[in-house]
Amino acid sequence: MNATTTVLRAATIGAGKISEEHLRFLSASPRARLVGVCDISPAVADFAARKFNAQAAYTDYARMLADARPDIVHILTPAATHPRLVSDCLNAGAHVIVEKPVAPTHGQFMELWNLAQSKDRRLVEDHNYRFNAPVLTIEKLVNDGTLGEVREVEVRMSLPLRAPGGRYADTSLPHSSHALPAGVLHEFVTHLCYLALRFMPAVERVAARWSNQDSDGLFKFDDLDAMIFAGAVHGRIRFSSAGGPDCFVLTVRGTRGWASTDLFQPYVRVVAPRGGRRSSGPIHLIAEGWEMLGAGFNGFRNRVMQRTAYEGLRTFLERTYDALCRGDEPPVSFADMDRVSRLIDAMVDEANRI
Amino acid sequence: MKLLVTGASGFLGGYVVADAARRGHEVRAAVRRAPNPGRSVETVILDLRSRDGLVEALGGVDAVIHLAAAKAGDLHAQLATTVVGTENLLLAMTQASVRHIVHISSFSVYDQMQMPAHSLLDESAPMADPMGDRDEYTITKLIQERLVIEASRKNGWRWTILRPGMLYGRDNLFNARVGMRLGANAWLRTGAWACIPLSYVENCAEAILLAVEKSQADGKILNIVDDQLPRQRQYARMIAPRFSPRPRIIPVSWTMMRTAARCAWLVNRWLLGGRAKIPGILVPSRLHARCKPLRYTNAQARSVLGWSPRYGLLEALDRSGNAVDVDASEPVAAAPAAGGTT
Repeated sequence: MNATTTVLRAATIGAGKISEEHLRFLSASPRARLVGVCDISPAVADFAARKFNAQAAYTDYARMLADARPDIVHILTPAATHPRLVSDCLNAGAHVIVEKPVAPTHGQFMELWNLAQSKDRRLVEDHNYRFNAPVLTIEKLVNDGTLGEVREVEVRMSLPLRAPGGRYADTSLPHSSHALPAGVLHEFVTHLCYLALRFMPAVERVAARWSNQDSDGLFKFDDLDAMIFAGAVHGRIRFSSAGGPDCFVLTVRGTRGWASTDLFQPYVRVVAPRGGRRSSGPIHLIAEGWEMLGAGFNGFRNRVMQRTAYEGLRTFLERTYDALCRGDEPPVSFADMDRVSRLIDAMVDEANRI
Repeated sequence: MKLLVTGASGFLGGYVVADAARRGHEVRAAVRRAPNPGRSVETVILDLRSRDGLVEALGGVDAVIHLAAAKAGDLHAQLATTVVGTENLLLAMTQASVRHIVHISSFSVYDQMQMPAHSLLDESAPMADPMGDRDEYTITKLIQERLVIEASRKNGWRWTILRPGMLYGRDNLFNARVGMRLGANAWLRTGAWACIPLSYVENCAEAILLAVEKSQADGKILNIVDDQLPRQRQYARMIAPRFSPRPRIIPVSWTMMRTAARCAWLVNRWLLGGRAKIPGILVPSRLHARCKPLRYTNAQARSVLGWSPRYGLLEALDRSGNAVDVDASEPVAAAPAAGGTT
């Protein structure tokens, strides 16, 4: 197989909001030929297929697997449906890219992973924010020693999940994620965990406080504060649905300096020696001010040009398709997924034992 | 007749339910949340995005008046409510053997961009392309209308599509045809001399009930607008004093706005690869849909339904501002259906 000319027959299951990002990639990538789009709604499947030039629209994924014979399937449905869909796609001989979480529990993840191994297929969980440009910049700063040895990692997300009219606050048709082990927060903790673990060694101990600010019966939890201890590195994972404005902040602190970014308003703030010298407060502040000004203009340009926080998804998919075509290890490995899934299980187990 | 009204808790839905009851129909009002106590008609709590309870809600129903649709939210939220909701309703109608639907569409399904200025927009006007650059509401209403017609033809149902113009009434005097809100207290108004295709909510509700009652409406698509259609400047001046604080109106000529939108579109297409997100009023197809000077007619609805708008503009505005509305009106007998009476 010639890796440079390989084109994978790709299909998607689920045509909700996140599918738009996947389908935009698939309709433009020279590595992919979009052979099918599947959704439970015939009209929505047809609309997505027409919009992204798919060869066919389906409402029955089993039929799509049989008729379109995709090499790879993107599973973009609610998390509770993942185990069955992943299993059926692997059994049909397709590689699988699945939105997070792969499965609600680590045990179910391992069953799916073992099935993928037995079928010689790849199973890849979407860790898209890991590939956002600011995160890659911070990784580089860690890897080239600019920040020194990592000592603290904090990932903080604030989103108004209870806002009236929001998808998670809908009481007339509750979102399916409310049924996950950690409720709707389960949808978000995967992102928080893989970003934190990117900068941490093996986890030794976890303490987590899950809480609910309102006893309306809809949400299991709407707030998480977790501490992760991994050797000399302390991590904190924080989710709040009450604090504003919206943010998705990653901060990595090392022995020589620290770096921080907000993926919803992309910039990278770096406080570290400049030009080989230790930082001196005023000069650093002036330099930072200049960089923040540039970040402000970039933010405005990003907004106009519709570059959203999903920017990393494209990079993730490009690298995954490249790896699959070459037969290499995908950019999100078993170890990455296994650590994240274990950490989420541990945090759920540790509920309120902080 | 026994009627199921979807979207019954919406602006138009409330008037349709009240008018249907007033005309002697048995009404089952489908709402998402429990209604306020004291409502005189039967209500059923349904979310059309789910199939749960739909077939049961249609039990014994003679006809469906389908008003439910999303007006806000992103494309996928509107697809879920407007499109998936309609698919579920149509499937349940098949299962419950309900064979008559009156669907309420919208003027937004037309492609005003293709029409010469000052031409007549009637039921034969060109339709917008759901793959084009119109907004989410237009895309989902286009799909919704197609679904209703396809299901009706496939199953041999009685069907009517009504396309109201800009609905107005109590607490709903401002609309996109007036222009664009700039902050809390200013309106950008463009296309001063364009007629606004207004439809007063009580007039529209009556047309909907006539469409249910009259077999002459079967298989018809009808535009619903009032007789007296004000020009945009006139309407803005009439309603502005009813807002507190009174909004400041910033006029921009239609030619200037159209040119600005054309320039924005060209820059986006040729310099930015079509990727820039620009305000809807600077997207030519959306600007034309909102503000283009066109002429409108309700001749077809008048002829088919035997309908004439009961309230003129001034009286409708008075009713919108006072505690006089359909609930206080006199009972009206239902129109005779072909081949019998209701």
